[in-house]
Amino acid sequence: MTNCETIRESIGGWLDGELSPGESDSVRAHVANCAACGEVRRQLEKLHLALKDQLSAEAAGIEFLPFWRDVQQRINQKQAWHEELLDWCRDFFTAPRIAWSVPAVIALVLAAFSLDVYLPGWRFGGARNNFAAVESIDAHGRSVALLRENESKTTVIWLYQDQEGENEAAEDATKSGPAF
Amino acid sequence: MELSDSELVKQCQAGEMSAFQELASRYYQKVYMVSLGLLRNRDDALEVAQEAFFRAYRKINSFQGGSSFYTWIYRIAVNISIDTQRRQKRNPLDFRESMDGVLEAQNEVARDPFADVHDRELREKLTKAINELTPEHKAVIVLRTIEGMSYKDIGEILGCSEGTVMSRLHYARKKLQDKLSVFL
Repeated sequence: MTNCETIRESIGGWLDGELSPGESDSVRAHVANCAACGEVRRQLEKLHLALKDQLSAEAAGIEFLPFWRDVQQRINQKQAWHEELLDWCRDFFTAPRIAWSVPAVIALVLAAFSLDVYLPGWRFGGARNNFAAVESIDAHGRSVALLRENESKTTVIWLYQDQEGENEAAEDATKSGPAF
Repeated sequence: MELSDSELVKQCQAGEMSAFQELASRYYQKVYMVSLGLLRNRDDALEVAQEAFFRAYRKINSFQGGSSFYTWIYRIAVNISIDTQRRQKRNPLDFRESMDGVLEAQNEVARDPFADVHDRELREKLTKAINELTPEHKAVIVLRTIEGMSYKDIGEILGCSEGTVMSRLHYARKKLQDKLSVFL
């Protein structure tokens, strides 16, 4: 980035009086000696004036009394219940509260689910079915089945060899002799 | 002797409607300018400015004085303006109408006998260029232009840091300069 580009990024801040004294001095010195950056400064000032003139001219046409009458009318008007509710929500659900509410809801849900551990008699979401879960893993003809039952907190591990696997194993044994 | 804003706010919190009227008379044009700068439509801007004062009155008791009254009322106006603008963008028909309103407003302003053709054209192009900025970029440039507000105050109104204000201003000005370079 050239010096001119760096300075141009700071011309706005300098005109706004938002730079430190040291930065201001360096921008001022550069703009005084560089025609291109001086032109950028002139354009920024003209832009500022054009926008300010435009908005001021518009605002000058607004009379206070009719403006105030309308505001007063709104103040005196009784709000409908849904508008009051909307106002309340707008005030209550501010950005920081919404940001905090997400982890708070997650924590509450986790706490509700973990009640099962601390209060065995308590059931989240009503009575549960007392079903046992069966999972099986099948590998190379040998299978492992896990049977879990929540009510009595019982887990049964069942190792077995299915018929197909047994036949394959028997064939292998006849071909290659005893493995052990 | 003229009362300060904070004294008027205290009176208003004690139920003095005339104190709020005094505050409104001090800031109604500035609040209108902020809304107009953001919405580019006179009717919408007037509606937003009145709504901002109405909401400020309703919430005056919750105003703690941590910031000045004017940054507070500008914040309300900016939030309503941005909400209005988003609603308009969701409804393209409303948006077209607001654009027509802007151009009509610009022609009326340009009837000023002292304004030359070049300036008139600049105003029209300026309106269009500002309309193409995002609400956040529009807000920083309008708040800075209207009252020469500090970056700290602008950041307070928009809920962002001074560094963010500075970078948004730089970006917005650069965009406007690029689009209006022929007229500047």
